Amino acid sequence: MTQYAHPEILVDTDWVKQNLGKPGIKLVEVDVDTKAYDAGHIRGSVGFNWQSQLQDQVRRDIISKQEFEKLMSDAGVSPSDTVILYGDNNNWFASYAFWLFKMYGHKDVRLMNGGRVKWLNESDKELTTEPTKITPTQYRASDPDLSLRALLPEVLKVQAEKRHNLVDVRSPDEYSGKVIAPPGMTETAQRGGHIPGAKSIPWSTAANADGTFKSADELRKIYLEDKGVDAKKDTIAYCRIGERSSHTWVVLKYLLGLSNVKNYDGSWTEYGSIVGAPIEK
Amino acid sequence: MNHQTRVYENVFEMMPDEDNPTPLVRVNRLNPNADFPLYAKLEWMNPFGSVKDRAAWFLLRDLEERGELSDGRGLVEPTSGNTGISLAGMARARGHHMLAIVPNKVPFEKKVLLKIAGADLDIVSDELCPAPGLGDGSINLAKTYAKAQGHKYVMPNQYENPKNVEAHLKTTGPEIWKQTGGRVTHLFTSLGTCGTVTGIGQYLREKNPKIKIIAVQPTEGHDVPGLRNVSQLSVSRLFDPSLVDEILEIDFNHAYTRALELCQNEGLIAGPSSGLILEGALQIAARDKSGFGVMIFPDNIFKYTSNMIKHIPELKPQDAKVEIP
Repeated sequence: MTQYAHPEILVDTDWVKQNLGKPGIKLVEVDVDTKAYDAGHIRGSVGFNWQSQLQDQVRRDIISKQEFEKLMSDAGVSPSDTVILYGDNNNWFASYAFWLFKMYGHKDVRLMNGGRVKWLNESDKELTTEPTKITPTQYRASDPDLSLRALLPEVLKVQAEKRHNLVDVRSPDEYSGKVIAPPGMTETAQRGGHIPGAKSIPWSTAANADGTFKSADELRKIYLEDKGVDAKKDTIAYCRIGERSSHTWVVLKYLLGLSNVKNYDGSWTEYGSIVGAPIEK
Repeated sequence: MNHQTRVYENVFEMMPDEDNPTPLVRVNRLNPNADFPLYAKLEWMNPFGSVKDRAAWFLLRDLEERGELSDGRGLVEPTSGNTGISLAGMARARGHHMLAIVPNKVPFEKKVLLKIAGADLDIVSDELCPAPGLGDGSINLAKTYAKAQGHKYVMPNQYENPKNVEAHLKTTGPEIWKQTGGRVTHLFTSLGTCGTVTGIGQYLREKNPKIKIIAVQPTEGHDVPGLRNVSQLSVSRLFDPSLVDEILEIDFNHAYTRALELCQNEGLIAGPSSGLILEGALQIAARDKSGFGVMIFPDNIFKYTSNMIKHIPELKPQDAKVEIP
């Protein structure tokens, strides 16, 4: 059995339990359901709200370097800390936060494999509503590493050249254009369908029933053999708003070790609204 | 308590059992097959208006008996509506508080009813892009409350609690057997938590192993409140496939059209899940030619006016100026 390319980016729930409260280890919960943290969280964790804290509140963008530094400082995180991210929905937004931490150069950031559901369903794991005591820091981030992020001009160029892997991680109905977004979602696009040439590999194909990532062998078979992602080519993953594709970005870049993988966080809400952009249904 | 005069000292004395069963009413004009009578068990005649009264009562009494609801501890439960209405109504009548975790797709009327019944609501956005086997967001949020705030909340967990099955094993099953004089050959029911099908199935199979237990499920992508397609059943631990002879998949639009027909032709004010069950029963009656069918009609139509208008637009009154939520 082969190993993940970067097994160090994952920790399991038992590891987290054993290391709770140790100096230099910071837990951060990021959920789709922004109420979940207040209902109960792992002792000592801080909660980030993806809507109000992980994206710019004026223009559509990730938070700036200054905003990231303030978020980290207020959360008591130091650049030398090991940050463990976890969240609901198989770590969708925890993966998005992971991508953001990598963008701003945080050295040691990891995901709790299986996310909050796995923790919740294990009888020896506790949750609390106790607020976490925070000692603010003076965090300094790096400039964003743009090699991890695809922006629209690059996506349009890539789809025209057809030399990249484009991976659409949304549900089959979103890929086919039957629906523009999952039911009830407010962030949507003008048109349904997918970027021409994109392969449909729903994010959930990478997940086991308990929410953990599938094994390296299974992932290799799914992505490289069955779905034909070419490991020698550069890759861009996208979804609707960039959170599910962060999950797949983690799989491709860190678990399978592909060399150049970017997350297109503009995703379908951007691409599907551009006048004249080619769409396949 | 007197079932003859129907005078009761409190609402809980009305809870159904063999001596006080919910009515069994024959469907006449919609079922042309005289050799296969179909009887509807009108579960909306329960005190809080649905089949869920049975499970809720067993769940609540069990928690009380085990001392789980002392010192101001209340209930938290993920619910698509009916269980919440029953649990909240019963809990409040016995002095407990209740928090219902409700998926956002639950009809507007049911959310209001939950609040009227006395529940606090926490509404979650479910089924964003679900992964297999992970369960609903509402179930996970309820589990979070029960785990992190155990001094305030206990979760009955209708999806896993054997008391849900026991309610039907001890009441619905014996009622049907007694009411039909043992003539029942086919039982038609829907799948939700699966407490109903498993409890009734266990009882009737023991009485007569030849009875056919037929589960009716809506086609995938359905919007019939309270029901689950088999692909969604992984959330329930109470489903026992060995007790189910057949699972019929019925186009979910029938839920609404048949419900309307039941109301307008039979005088039965049945809700959409009853409509789906009727369609399944009629298909089996046409196929098997003879038998004696009992259909569990979970609740009535009054909670579903907005769902009905969505599927049958001509029901919308001509002077409706605003979109009905």
